[in-house]
Amino acid sequence: MSILFSGRVSSGASAHKVGIARRFIMFWVNHVRQALFSLGELWRTPSASILTIGVLGVSLTLPATLHLLVKNVQQISDSFTQAAEISLFIREGTNATQISSLQKILQADNDIAQVTHISREQALSEFAQVSGFGAALNYLTDNPLPDVLLVLPKNTHADSARQLLARLSKERIVEFGKLDIDWLTRLDAIVSLLRQAVLVIAVLLLGAVLLIIGNTIRLSIMNKKDEIEVMKLVGATDAFIQTPFLYSGIWYGVFGGLLAFLIVEAMLWWLQGAIVSVTSLYESEFHLMALSVTEFFSLMLLAMLLGLSGSYLSVRRHISGIEPTGP
Amino acid sequence: MLEFDQVSKSYPGGFVALDRVSFKLEKGEMAFLTGHSGAGKSTLLKLISLIERPSVGRVLINDVDLSRIRRPHIPFVRRDIGIIFQNHRLLMNHTVFDNVALPLVIEGFSGKDMVKRVHAALDKVGLLDKVRCLPYTLSGGEQQRVGIARAVVNKPPLLLADEPTGNLDPDLSKDIMRVFEAFNQVGVSVLVATHDLGLVARKKYRTLTLKQGRMINDGLLHLDEAPL
Repeated sequence: MSILFSGRVSSGASAHKVGIARRFIMFWVNHVRQALFSLGELWRTPSASILTIGVLGVSLTLPATLHLLVKNVQQISDSFTQAAEISLFIREGTNATQISSLQKILQADNDIAQVTHISREQALSEFAQVSGFGAALNYLTDNPLPDVLLVLPKNTHADSARQLLARLSKERIVEFGKLDIDWLTRLDAIVSLLRQAVLVIAVLLLGAVLLIIGNTIRLSIMNKKDEIEVMKLVGATDAFIQTPFLYSGIWYGVFGGLLAFLIVEAMLWWLQGAIVSVTSLYESEFHLMALSVTEFFSLMLLAMLLGLSGSYLSVRRHISGIEPTGP
Repeated sequence: MLEFDQVSKSYPGGFVALDRVSFKLEKGEMAFLTGHSGAGKSTLLKLISLIERPSVGRVLINDVDLSRIRRPHIPFVRRDIGIIFQNHRLLMNHTVFDNVALPLVIEGFSGKDMVKRVHAALDKVGLLDKVRCLPYTLSGGEQQRVGIARAVVNKPPLLLADEPTGNLDPDLSKDIMRVFEAFNQVGVSVLVATHDLGLVARKKYRTLTLKQGRMINDGLLHLDEAPL
């Protein structure tokens, strides 16, 4: 494209008879070449690159770790499904057939996973065992405990368990129903609080990543001020000058993300033993969950996007600001 | 080809670098631009290469008014003008080849075509054997010739040179002038800014002389009647 000399043919590849397919291939070849060139630039300034990558890695490690924390706590809270057990206390004077027919009806219910009947006698003997009153209970003239149906809902989420409770309480022979849901609600609230705190911290740290990359790119633009001026003087567009810096940003993201992944893996490996010994005390079947493949790729993608946008912000501001001052 | 029409340029603070300068450079013409330092030579070249804009008047290249060129299009105008700088302005950590190839890479050349053109340009300035060298290993004259090769590698119709012989000895200066003449002979318009009057007077070329921003001579320059 020549603005001044319409007949001028020496202007670049566009003037050549180049097929679309070939031009498409050349486009990608050029991008790969520039990406490798930017990688080489990072390699040529190892100390500065390593420092930046280190800071990025640590900044990305924190959100990743917090994410894992939330994920694992959630796993714990999910394992307490029995928590949403509903106890239905049966009216006094109800006979056994009525109870067993209700039990059958409930077992056929779509919302209910399991129904267990605890008879008054069972309840009393269990109470005698657990409470330690033992012999004292023998002095009772009659059994004060009611029959109980334990209902395990299919959906253990607090809200749906509460709805089920309301429905079952309306049964004729049910005196009242009870759902020990408070602590489950509390756990849910804590998990969601944790998740939001993680989100806020993550956003802050990702913002920091953006600024770090932006500043690093700004410094390398300033270092190459002379070179950029020369390129502008021989006719380089801003876009042409920008591309290598954008690729540098992406590379910073890639390496920062990889570093964060490695740090997280190392930390998990380090903590594994300690966590196993804690969980074995609680006799729970707890497995520490690491980053999944999807999460790894999300981390990398996020890091690359942050790198790209950080450098883009910097490049937009600073490259157009550099103007050649002279021949 | 190149036309200045009553061009003035004043800088903030009231300094007038150019004062109503008018001249025309025809296609394929070669001319010298002389004057003391501070006379406005550099400013004049900056107006052509769109580093600066005139305060008053018009600069036209090929009848296109440069004031109509918007910022995003400036790079494309510069691709039509080969500029040679006094301090060479080479990329010191890139090879001679990379330096000369830069304008071609910018225009999207690649592969054999690019290599061929770079070699042709370096051949013209006699530096084909230094293709793989880094600029700082070259002498001043050689660096200057690398700069010339870079300016002509994409065959621009207009060549500007700012003090191309600034700190070279007379023999080297003559060599460089011969290179310019060779380009001029193949139809390139050449405008050389220099304060080396001896060099100018020996050649019978049109000379534009600036003094304190005014054009005081347009034509052949003879040393005995030099107005400086």
